[in-house]
Amino acid sequence: MAFKETRGITETHLTTTAHAWWMGIAGWLVPGAGHFLQGRWARGLVIGGVICGMFAIGLLFGGHLFGIGGQEEGTNSLLQLPPMIANLGTGILYLICWVSNSGFSDAAEYARKATFEYGNTFLLVAGLLNYLAMLDAFDIAAGRKP
Amino acid sequence: MTHLLVMILFAVMVSLIFGLVARDTSRERLFYGLKVFAEFMGIGLALAWLLYFLPL
Repeated sequence: MAFKETRGITETHLTTTAHAWWMGIAGWLVPGAGHFLQGRWARGLVIGGVICGMFAIGLLFGGHLFGIGGQEEGTNSLLQLPPMIANLGTGILYLICWVSNSGFSDAAEYARKATFEYGNTFLLVAGLLNYLAMLDAFDIAAGRKP
Repeated sequence: MTHLLVMILFAVMVSLIFGLVARDTSRERLFYGLKVFAEFMGIGLALAWLLYFLPL
């Protein structure tokens, strides 16, 4: 009996953990989805709207996404890694741009814009904020937050 | 769009997310979001005036 109870608790714990991980992954892949799937409609909508809005504004301002495999050589390409990780936080938005090869250009026509650096900042922060939202969705699913 | 409007837009968006993920109750979220927004604007404007007087 004790074994069954112990086993039951362990299985419940594992299920909760797996559920939390899936919610985290969903939240990363589609901004706001981690909250949406847990019935937090309003929070999911605001998070999704803000992240997608910041991403769109960033591109409209002339900002560009970072990625490895550009023109940089050797250790210089490593400098692209931290901003790429930040950009990657936007999940499917980054992946769509990566597949369609759009938004990565830092050509002179974009860099000439007065809002070029603002655009980069919006794009980077959109990804970082989505990582925060992803962790929040994980915590809610794991029962750590109401 | 002016620099100030971009700063306000950025502060609003970041404050919204911070407010939503950082606290537990709706009231706490609202006040925390407003506090973060006020800090963004206050510190941003203070730094802007400080840099204005520096001979850069």
